[in-house]
Amino acid sequence: MSAPNCLRCLVRPSTAIPLAIPRQASPLVAPFAPFSTTTATAAKKEVKGHVRGGKKLVLGKFKKNKVESRVRPPGPGERKAYRKRITLSNDNAIQVPWLTDMGPGSLLDTANVAKVLALPEEVQDQLRASEAFKTTQSWKMFRKPSVLVRTETVDLMNRIQGAVEKRQTLRVAITGDKVAGKSMMLLQAMSHAYLNNWIVIHVPEAHELTTACTDYAPIPGTEPPQYTQPTYALKLIHAIKKANEKILAKTYTVSAHPELPQNIPANTPLLAIANAAKEADGAWAVFHALWNELTAQGANRPPILLSLDGLAHVMKTSDYRAPGFDRIHAHDLSLVRLFAEALGGGVQFPNGGAVLGATSRSNTPRAPSMELALAQREAEQRHADPAEVPQKDAFFRGYDERVEAVLRSVQVLRLGGVSKLEARAVMEYWAASGMLRAAVDEKTVTEKWALGSGVLGEMERASLLTMRI
Amino acid sequence: MVFIFGVNFHEQKLVKKALETFYALGPQTSDRILAKHFIHPRMKMGALPPKTLTALTAELSTMTIESDARRLLQDNIKRLRDMGTYRGRRHAMGLPARGQRTRNQIETAKSLNQVERRG
Repeated sequence: MSAPNCLRCLVRPSTAIPLAIPRQASPLVAPFAPFSTTTATAAKKEVKGHVRGGKKLVLGKFKKNKVESRVRPPGPGERKAYRKRITLSNDNAIQVPWLTDMGPGSLLDTANVAKVLALPEEVQDQLRASEAFKTTQSWKMFRKPSVLVRTETVDLMNRIQGAVEKRQTLRVAITGDKVAGKSMMLLQAMSHAYLNNWIVIHVPEAHELTTACTDYAPIPGTEPPQYTQPTYALKLIHAIKKANEKILAKTYTVSAHPELPQNIPANTPLLAIANAAKEADGAWAVFHALWNELTAQGANRPPILLSLDGLAHVMKTSDYRAPGFDRIHAHDLSLVRLFAEALGGGVQFPNGGAVLGATSRSNTPRAPSMELALAQREAEQRHADPAEVPQKDAFFRGYDERVEAVLRSVQVLRLGGVSKLEARAVMEYWAASGMLRAAVDEKTVTEKWALGSGVLGEMERASLLTMRI
Repeated sequence: MVFIFGVNFHEQKLVKKALETFYALGPQTSDRILAKHFIHPRMKMGALPPKTLTALTAELSTMTIESDARRLLQDNIKRLRDMGTYRGRRHAMGLPARGQRTRNQIETAKSLNQVERRG
């Protein structure tokens, strides 16, 4: 049997090839065109040059060939967007059958303590618009974003509701241990507000206002000089507009605003004012007008919730510099000033509301005055012996009178560990979602509860965020 | 591309770093210039409003920077040399001026101690 190929020259035997090939014979087949679009003549040209055969001198052959990565490098802002993205749903998590949605009165009911409630879709969108969700919280593990109702939650919501009914403003500073759920308490207050059709203004990270990473400009004619942050104000207006669109459309202005980029006559929906902010330049004027309208006395306004996360950042001098190179106090930045005045009790909301400020235990600066003031208020709330109320250190100069003035009459809510009942509720939710692969019995609950001394974040770390199962 | 003081800068360059590219304008001075014009430290060149750009150029033109600062330096060395001081002579010879030994390790002095010092 003969081989299909000629063994010596690897040419397939064919009758078409004459045995003796003339030296300058015309090619038998059309020159090979690399692409279907390449013409035969173009392909012919490539063959024309002298092709050197044999060994070639290769320089640096011991150098490793650099492997050029063919992956497209991420575009500007892409990495940050990936880092900051909020995932609120996990399709792999099991749907919890007994999970109920939060209603307008759910967080006021003591029967809901130690229960996990889901956030309704609409509220999710509103919370997302006001950046209430954080990347450090484990929303991405569960099918539906849900929160544990704690004793403190119901207590705070009832206090807020009581104040609103009396048309007063509740002013609370939320403080507590690391990962104790301070931001989550803000989120719960915000969801309560959204469900009850209040207006919510939320500053998600106070450090964005004071660490000199957004532009600032002086307000002419203010003494001592105050500064606006136009870009941040614009961002805040957009967030307020997106989150509170329905209520703003139903609330009407009481006075005309000829100073705005668009002329706003009286009796126009507040949404029109919010829509007037198109560029950073006029953003502060718009925000100021919106704030004046929301706090206009005697007008029919919904209750207002003003909240800020990272209180320590706004209770000290900021990183901004005045023209004389002095540091600007955070309370001279107009947005912070507005919050500080409200927290200090200088603003009365027409239909009541709440001002909440949560401290943070991560990436937080020392604010000695704030720490002292909060400790003092806490001692006063306990009706402690006057000798036990912490006093200023006589040999320390870093106290700040402006901060003390703001925090002179706030209430303090200290968050610590949850009760075992609450711990069990949340662990049952984790297990029902398929995220905790253990039987939730007295032993497991006590174990995890003791590991984090009842602090929810620590329990989460011990049971959800570890690979040891 | 953004122009300040006749120099073209990329839009993504930090204003602070752009200012520091000028000779005799260091971190301290650039910080103060930023504060004077209400520019936050992380602002990029592309975000500067045109009004601030002209103000910056006007500010820089009143300062002793770039060739003015270099000339000042050279004048100081020339003055020392013309007075016939030891430091002036050492500069003229390209040798260390502050009592260092010259047996070895004088490359820095050789390159820097010149009457026509580059900067």
